Amino acid sequence: MRRIGIYILLLIGLIGFGYPFVWMISASLKPELEIGSLALWSANFSLKNYELVINRIPVFRALLNSTIVSVSVTISVIFFGSMVGFALAKMRFVGKEILFVVILFTMMIPFQITMIPQYILMVWLGLTDTYLGLIAPYAMTALSIVLFRQFFMSIPQALIDAARVDGCSDLRILFKIVWPLSRPVIITVGILTFMTVWNDVLWPIIIIRERSMMTMPQLVALFVTGGEAEGQLGAMLASATLLALPVIIGYSFFQRYFIDSMATTGLKG
Amino acid sequence: MVFLNESNGLIVKEKIFVIICILFLLSCGAPSDDSRDERTDVIRLTYWPAPNPQEMELADSLVKVWNRNNPHIQVRMQPIPVGQSTEEVLLASIAAGTTPDICSNIWPGALYDFTRAGGLIPFEKFSDFDSVLTSRVPSELLETFRSPDGSVYQIPWKTNPVMMIYNKRILRELGYEEPPRIYSEFIRMGRELAERRENDKRFDVWMGERDIRPIWWQRFFDFLPFYYAASGGKTLFENHTVAFVNEYAEAVIAFFSECYREKVFPRTFSHQQDPFLLERMATNFAGSWQIPTIRRYAPHIEFGVAPVPVPDDHEGPIYTYGDFKNISIFSTTRYPEASWEFVKFLIEADHDLLLLEIANQIPVRGDLLTNPLFTDFFNDNPDMVLFAEQAVYTRSVDEVADIKEILDALSQEYEAAVVYGRRSPAEAIQRAARRAELIIEWNK
Amino acid sequence: MKSVSALISRIRGSEKNGYLFMLPYIIFFCLFIAYPLIFSFVLIFHRWNIVTPMEWIALRNFFRMFQDPLFARAIINTLVFLVLHIPLQIVIALIFAVLLNSAIKFRGLFRSVYFFPVVVSGVVVTILWAQLYNYESGLFNHILTTIGLPAVPWLVDPGFAMPSIAIMATWKNVGLYIVLFLVGLQTIPAYLYEAARIDGASGKDQFLNITLPMLNPTIVVIFILSTIGGFSLFIEPYIMTGGGPMNSTLSAMLYIYNQAFSFNHMGYAAALGFVFALIILSVVMLQRKVLETGDYST
Repeated sequence: MRRIGIYILLLIGLIGFGYPFVWMISASLKPELEIGSLALWSANFSLKNYELVINRIPVFRALLNSTIVSVSVTISVIFFGSMVGFALAKMRFVGKEILFVVILFTMMIPFQITMIPQYILMVWLGLTDTYLGLIAPYAMTALSIVLFRQFFMSIPQALIDAARVDGCSDLRILFKIVWPLSRPVIITVGILTFMTVWNDVLWPIIIIRERSMMTMPQLVALFVTGGEAEGQLGAMLASATLLALPVIIGYSFFQRYFIDSMATTGLKG
Repeated sequence: MVFLNESNGLIVKEKIFVIICILFLLSCGAPSDDSRDERTDVIRLTYWPAPNPQEMELADSLVKVWNRNNPHIQVRMQPIPVGQSTEEVLLASIAAGTTPDICSNIWPGALYDFTRAGGLIPFEKFSDFDSVLTSRVPSELLETFRSPDGSVYQIPWKTNPVMMIYNKRILRELGYEEPPRIYSEFIRMGRELAERRENDKRFDVWMGERDIRPIWWQRFFDFLPFYYAASGGKTLFENHTVAFVNEYAEAVIAFFSECYREKVFPRTFSHQQDPFLLERMATNFAGSWQIPTIRRYAPHIEFGVAPVPVPDDHEGPIYTYGDFKNISIFSTTRYPEASWEFVKFLIEADHDLLLLEIANQIPVRGDLLTNPLFTDFFNDNPDMVLFAEQAVYTRSVDEVADIKEILDALSQEYEAAVVYGRRSPAEAIQRAARRAELIIEWNK
Repeated sequence: MKSVSALISRIRGSEKNGYLFMLPYIIFFCLFIAYPLIFSFVLIFHRWNIVTPMEWIALRNFFRMFQDPLFARAIINTLVFLVLHIPLQIVIALIFAVLLNSAIKFRGLFRSVYFFPVVVSGVVVTILWAQLYNYESGLFNHILTTIGLPAVPWLVDPGFAMPSIAIMATWKNVGLYIVLFLVGLQTIPAYLYEAARIDGASGKDQFLNITLPMLNPTIVVIFILSTIGGFSLFIEPYIMTGGGPMNSTLSAMLYIYNQAFSFNHMGYAAALGFVFALIILSVVMLQRKVLETGDYST
């Protein structure tokens, strides 16, 4: 009896969290006049709304931009993060402790403080409306460094010393010996970074004005709020669906990794 | 040394590698310079038109003609990067020193910042300015574009007067053949629609609808056109001091509050479906750009165009707000005279006709309805006649500091008084005026 | 003197590659963290619209701020958001975590669906919920009116708008906290419950005396993360309400954004950011102090 009660509650949750997305996808396929109805199925399903969105805004360009930016940032964060994390975990040099404290401290700096000077820096460097402007400020994150450091601490020093004796350079040790042992942390950092950057919208809104350089969330947000959709709700929902689609696909394949990486850090990117 | 047991080559390699990484970080490359033409006898100008497809097509064809006829002054057309707003793009390019020579998408509200930054060239500098301009623009209208320092930095080029577009079928079903002309008629029709909604729950047509988000530019479609109409063309400022504490402003606020109180308007946002296209709304305040949208998404709608409603005791012409887009020459230009020649070319009557035909926008000229050159166009496009008639009775926003912030403050007071009835009209106007004064004060 | 030479010899003895490996970060730090911090500190004493030269105005930005009703409003709004959002989130996450932690089938399926809103862009969630909240035709009012309840002015009433946004934010984030609580629940050793059962403790007693105290670290994490998240609230009001109705959803971030990028008041916006950052830091410090000594068993 109690068991059934649990299942009913869980099922309510399932509908609560899942139904809105199903509704969105269904509504984006319906003609404008049928969107108001609650039915999920319509005999008049068509891709008209998607056609309108694709004709109106450069969706594919924005998807490409988002992909370029997210992939570059992710690679950079993993690469530099592991490098710095390795130095902090496995090398001996003066000032290491201070640097680590500074890195921990930077995690506490709210974006509210740095947002405006960073924008002005981008204007001065001529980086508004460029990929580099979207990538550079995110190229390294304190969180990734801390995660890498923590993981690398658990790798036995003897392994590294042995490699040194064999004449391995530090970079080779990092990439040939440490990296293969660090798959979990690389996946965690990779997923967190990719999601943060893919979903971020404030920074692009600030520094990207040229439409061909906009990222997907930015383009969709401006499409919906800026009147370009001309009040076509189906088109707005279609643009939102297009924005969600890559994440839906990625999530359905790698959901375990998504959940694990966020559960271990407690951060939603 | 610690690294003695390592081969030197590897250390060097690592260093190079790290340096490359640093270079990657630093490769914040400076924007590459436009390659200037080697031939020095050719003047090269850059022209930024608005980024929408129609205006780009227009600019493209005009520039082609110009370049053919003027081999020594070659113009390159480059649409303004599309994005949030032209003003932001222009401000950023003034800051970065990358402005074009000529731009034809200057919003008068942004002029204060541009001129204070010394970004624009005053047109009086050119000896034939007066004769060229007075032949095109009525002088009274031109005066509204004179900057506080007495110079003219912008040539009024085109405008989009805000008018009332109405659904003829809905009004006819209510028993009206004519659109509402005055506030009381508008409210009466709105009430009748509200009664029908009450009696028949399935009927959901409203008299009108406005996005209730307190965003500054939303006032271009309610408060400003109605205020300009009621006040007979007075704008918000006079001699750069607040001049909207008067009975006209109060009447407009009172009218819109009544609209919400009497359920003539619903409280909604614009990120929902366009009720006019769904025939759930009898009137809409918009510019002529709305007409192609209606034709495209709802060709069955029978619509008419009329001036915005005015107070019941109103007399005289009905003014409105118009979204002016003007032409300016940037002070970064190396060839002011050549730029001026191109500007004169842009505003020739033949090219104004192209502006009508290609972009469906109203050129700012006094002889639009009298010059035989335009007759054919207006015969073919009767909807546009009303917009053309209205164009002369159109005002823009004042050139004062922080006009956006002032409109934002006004929007918040409008919202409080109109949408939520939290203040009386007089109170709202006074508060808005006080806030506007504070904003102006802050800038001194 | 001795300590200096000791330091020098220690630096000599350091692994040079350590510095080399740190170098990219040090450059990054200078460019994107240290420089903005310093520049922001300079900016808060200036009036500047980017185009014209900077103008020193000493503390006028702060005088303006303390007379600015919208500044106070933005802080109050953020606090309203937090007060609604955090308890709601913790309660709902706890309920589902406990349900999922009982021996059930399809746990993976439930978990991954609950988690899904977390990974989807806030832009999608906001566009979607703006429709669900629609007063006239939204799903929620549709359901309410069909079961005979009055329609709720979700986003159009100043009293409802911020709670509505808080509910939406809870829906979006709660999946993450369900998972965090699940992890926390699984670390509670089973013998604690067994001992309690032998002592005759009821299910409720067990929950209050074992589960909650053992989950305290998770609750602290959720509190702090939600607070930081609450102060960064931006895209939801930006898309849904534009800060209205009656400024009831004007968030701190939205206000800074408007001042900086709509009105070009870089100095004032920097000052706002500075003060908001101080507020965030002190609120987080306070929470840690209170919560980490928190005791639920009384």
